[in-house]
Amino acid sequence: MDDEQFLNERVEVIAVFGLGWKPCRPIKFRRASGREVVISKIGLGFPNERGSRMVHVFDVTDGQADYRLEFDAVTLVWRLVREADHVS
Amino acid sequence: MSAEGFNTARPMIMHIDLNSCFATIEQQSRPLLRGRPVAVVNRRTERTSIVTASYEAKARGVKVGMRVSDARFLCPDLIAIESDPPKYRYVCRRLKSILEDYSPKVRMKSVDEGLIDFSESPIDIQQRDLMDVGREIKQRLREEIGEYMMCNVGIGVNRFLAKTAASLNKPDGLNMITHLNLRQIYENLELEDLNGIAGGYGRRLRQVGITTPLEFLDAEESILVSQVFRSKCGSDWYKRLRGWEVDDLDFELKTISRQYVLDDREMGYDEILRRFHNLTEDLASKLRAQQVRAHGVRIYVKTYHAGRWHNLYRQNRAIDDESGLFEIVRGLLYTAPLPAYEIGVTCYGLVSADSTQPDLFGEGVRVDKLTSAIDDINQFWGPRTVHSADTLGLDQFMKRKIPFSSTRFIV
Repeated sequence: MDDEQFLNERVEVIAVFGLGWKPCRPIKFRRASGREVVISKIGLGFPNERGSRMVHVFDVTDGQADYRLEFDAVTLVWRLVREADHVS
Repeated sequence: MSAEGFNTARPMIMHIDLNSCFATIEQQSRPLLRGRPVAVVNRRTERTSIVTASYEAKARGVKVGMRVSDARFLCPDLIAIESDPPKYRYVCRRLKSILEDYSPKVRMKSVDEGLIDFSESPIDIQQRDLMDVGREIKQRLREEIGEYMMCNVGIGVNRFLAKTAASLNKPDGLNMITHLNLRQIYENLELEDLNGIAGGYGRRLRQVGITTPLEFLDAEESILVSQVFRSKCGSDWYKRLRGWEVDDLDFELKTISRQYVLDDREMGYDEILRRFHNLTEDLASKLRAQQVRAHGVRIYVKTYHAGRWHNLYRQNRAIDDESGLFEIVRGLLYTAPLPAYEIGVTCYGLVSADSTQPDLFGEGVRVDKLTSAIDDINQFWGPRTVHSADTLGLDQFMKRKIPFSSTRFIV
């Protein structure tokens, strides 16, 4: 349970907006430190209402760690809110 | 009923059960957890109980309800993850939406179980082989939610047999029970494998010599009524086991409750009262969301030295505002034996908010207006944007979790 870091880091994201059940797919993101993370798999994406605001949550991985990205549909800002490597 | 009393109709009830629901959703959502022993917990401590364990954890002896610290003896590499209710709500809603494509009569039995009654489906769906529909639902679950999602699908002539079928061949099973294979299925089950037969009923059945589901099936109705269940339940079980529907019932909302395991076992009266206040705020908002008011409030505390203690109060006026409920709770808690390790509040005597008489003297109207304004703010800016100053700082401990039993507050 101590392998998770909770963050609120604004990140730059390259995402594809297409068709189908999962119309938004983040491809990679750049952290504040400049490190680029290439997403190898999107685990789950789901909308989460925060009052009248809609935030789209994406649990993703680069194969080394799991990340949670949040996309605020009002401000159009992406944030990295969690990082976990699950190394026991 | 047929010669042997079995329902020989075509099975039209399908039960869908997500396997190890929360753990599987976590493994879907976080790919690095796949194939690894995972436990979902409600609090980030080693002393907390496990809510759901993944199949990998279960294979190593980890059980639901076990403390994380105990589970680590069996499975040192167990990964404990805090539950993530918005994610589970999303999956529950998506599952419901998939099921609704097949029938207007869909019922979510809990956050991880849904039921389709095909008797009211469009004719083209009714004409399909339901085993094919079951396979299609599994496929859609993987496509529309995620490739790691698995469910058990059971088909039967009544709700009981559909659920029994869904409990076979876990994970990812698909089974149908008809009058033709009913005896064969019962032959391979234990009494307690039957949904609804837990320790108490199991003991009663054994007392009259019924030790297996087959013996239960072959028991005379009069024995079940007069000697085992001593009520109409015996007759219901006689029919249920043979595939006749006795469980197509909707229950009214009778109580709303919340409980909380205290984050510190040595907590004093004031701190416990604050936590009761937080629970009361949550209950009041649930009452208003369901458009009901409560006549009565019951609280309990569990202590190590005095066991379970409870106190209740019922009044003529039905209320749904947090301040009114909290005043009652404060009065009830006064004589509680403390310290405690668990607390809970239940609102009972629920009536429709429309049917309650407005307050003649105006105070109630002012409270209603204030409450309504707070609800509007919280609806716009998010839950608990405005709340009592007394409960400030408690949100990090007292997060709202997913109830297993009812989907009334989810879908």
